[in-house]
Amino acid sequence: MNLNPEFQRQLQLEFSSARLVGVPLILGVIFALTYLIDDYHFANVTAQSALGLFLLMVSFWGARQAVDSVLDEQRSHTWDTQRLSALDPWTMVCGKLLGSTLVVWYGCVICLVVYGLAANNTSNFFWVCGYAITSGLLVQNLSLLLSLIALRKGQINSNSVIIGLAIIAAFTIGSWIMPLAEDPQALQNKANIAWYGLNVTDQLLTLITVCLALFWCVVGNYRLMAQELRIRTLPWVWLAFAIFLIVYTGGFIPAEQFGDYFYSIAFGICLTLCYLIVFAEYNEPMRIKRLLGYMTKENWLRSAEELPLWCITFVLACLLAIPLSFLHPADVNELHIYPLPILLLLFFSYGKNPQRAFSLTLLSLVLLYGVLPALFETAKQEWLVALFFPLFTDSMVLSIVYVAVQSALIWYFLYQRWQESV
Amino acid sequence: MINVEQLIFEYPNLRALDEVSFHIPQGSITALVGPNGAGKTTLLRCMAALDQPMSGNIRIGGIDVLEHPRECHRIIGYLSDFFGLYDRLTVRQCLHYVARAQGIADEDCEAAIAKVSKGLYITDRLDVLAGTLSRGLRQRVAIAQAIIHSPRVVLLDEPASGLDPEARHELAELFLELQKQGMTLLVSSHILAELEAYSTDMLVLRQGRIIEQVAIKTLTHAQDFKLTLATPVANLAALLQSIDKLIVLKTEHDQSALLQIQGDSLQQHELLKNLLARNLPVCEFAKISNNLQDAYLETIRQRP
Repeated sequence: MNLNPEFQRQLQLEFSSARLVGVPLILGVIFALTYLIDDYHFANVTAQSALGLFLLMVSFWGARQAVDSVLDEQRSHTWDTQRLSALDPWTMVCGKLLGSTLVVWYGCVICLVVYGLAANNTSNFFWVCGYAITSGLLVQNLSLLLSLIALRKGQINSNSVIIGLAIIAAFTIGSWIMPLAEDPQALQNKANIAWYGLNVTDQLLTLITVCLALFWCVVGNYRLMAQELRIRTLPWVWLAFAIFLIVYTGGFIPAEQFGDYFYSIAFGICLTLCYLIVFAEYNEPMRIKRLLGYMTKENWLRSAEELPLWCITFVLACLLAIPLSFLHPADVNELHIYPLPILLLLFFSYGKNPQRAFSLTLLSLVLLYGVLPALFETAKQEWLVALFFPLFTDSMVLSIVYVAVQSALIWYFLYQRWQESV
Repeated sequence: MINVEQLIFEYPNLRALDEVSFHIPQGSITALVGPNGAGKTTLLRCMAALDQPMSGNIRIGGIDVLEHPRECHRIIGYLSDFFGLYDRLTVRQCLHYVARAQGIADEDCEAAIAKVSKGLYITDRLDVLAGTLSRGLRQRVAIAQAIIHSPRVVLLDEPASGLDPEARHELAELFLELQKQGMTLLVSSHILAELEAYSTDMLVLRQGRIIEQVAIKTLTHAQDFKLTLATPVANLAALLQSIDKLIVLKTEHDQSALLQIQGDSLQQHELLKNLLARNLPVCEFAKISNNLQDAYLETIRQRP
């Protein structure tokens, strides 16, 4: 049988006979204890424990398995062998994700079966299962995505950070699922939410949102894996994701205020994505040199492949700023845009210790937008505060001058740093 | 088989490969030599489409590596200097995984494993966990992984490091066997004596530049000899140059000379007779082994 080789290898590594026996045995002992606590019945305590264990396993253990399926390759120097294989990105992603977490789902299915048998009220059972399974898949996919990002950036010891995020995700999922599991009327009590005029229940919308997030995580994993396997990719998926988020979020704006708020929300989304991706991407100076080289040769296809993703959303944000500046919504009096964090991160990334770029950027931002402005404000030197927050000044001309000074300074330093590093 | 043109690779503040160009014919075994930090590993990684160069062209078996890296992966085998194995899998499972991942059908995997493990003398270790193997055996398993899909081109970065002399000899035999099967090999190594056993060509890389590409086996046809006289003879260089089929490489103090002779042992005998006939007081006429190390050092000396 021509099984997915990566899936088969993950099974050989993770689904050992010891685990095959050990997982139900440990769960059996735990449920035996809850059986005793429930006065020799499989009742509420057992059901709650089964659901709690499900969440714990699917997020904590599942995330760890997903992360290790990628980062362990780099740690044990086997990643090059995988990159040179004939496996396509989809086979690789499915093999890693499903193969490494199958043992986790084996335990999770046992928990869900016990929950189904022990729960007093099973009227919401399919909703609980639907939430639990999609959310679990989302957490594991997200963990794989983060580990691929960490791999790209050379941060191969990021397990604890990613697993920490998975635990936070587990608590979030728990806050959705537990009310459904405990209250049979939970579905009836929920108010409807309007999305582009469609009335959908809160629970259904959450489930659909989780499914959509799962879809984009899978797409992200595919793209990152494709890049690792040296398949050339154009940045259209990032553009599509930004547009999807704008369209999806726009659905929640009341119809009568749509015109007022759509552009500001879209603008905010693009800037947020811009900040997120610049921190997530591997910002290497040689990439910019390659990009400029391709642009000089008018090789636009290769230029697009080398283009940093933050540029896409930044350009989109700038395009959205044009109609926004004309519409000027009534309660959006001041719109502060600070591309400085992006440039600062690039500045530190092009330095001698790019691994510390993130922490150095955060420190600089705290100083530039917190400590120093507070210092000048306390000293009653408001004009100096405006150097950091240009819109704080009353004069439009001055604010433009401050923006120009700020931009010119950081671009100068960034260019100098880049030239030194290439 | 391999064509590299104007290849440039840069790390921040360092040009690791500087307009590297060379051609490697099909069926050859090329030794890639050079001092530490010369760019050997970077060159091999670029050729394996693992790292992206700044500019240049690489064609392997007619495939443009930079344009179609995945197609290139199917026809090459690559052994990294920092290779790893799946320590919790048996050798058989490791080889089976790589075979399947390289597109070999499940039913053909056993035959591929048997063939490659026989060639690398690891048949008796197939059911041992990879993590329990010695350094030398791990190296053999890694080479087996690199060639299990019978690639047309094999790139090996320091394949003999950690191997004992016997294993190195077996490795040399394996490379010659792979060459007989039509594979083209590019082998980077510091151990020049070991490369000599199987290399047909040598590529010298220094500070990111190819400073020499020579055909080693051809060199052996032109044999170097050292001539020493008991007493100096005036105008020795001119006298020697007047002899047919003899190239004078160097003379010293009219008493010794470095000569190159094209031909077999009969030709050598004729030459010696000729020298004695000219009343030269010959006290030493000895063959100089012109090995890879000499060729390498000569290249390095000539191009500082």
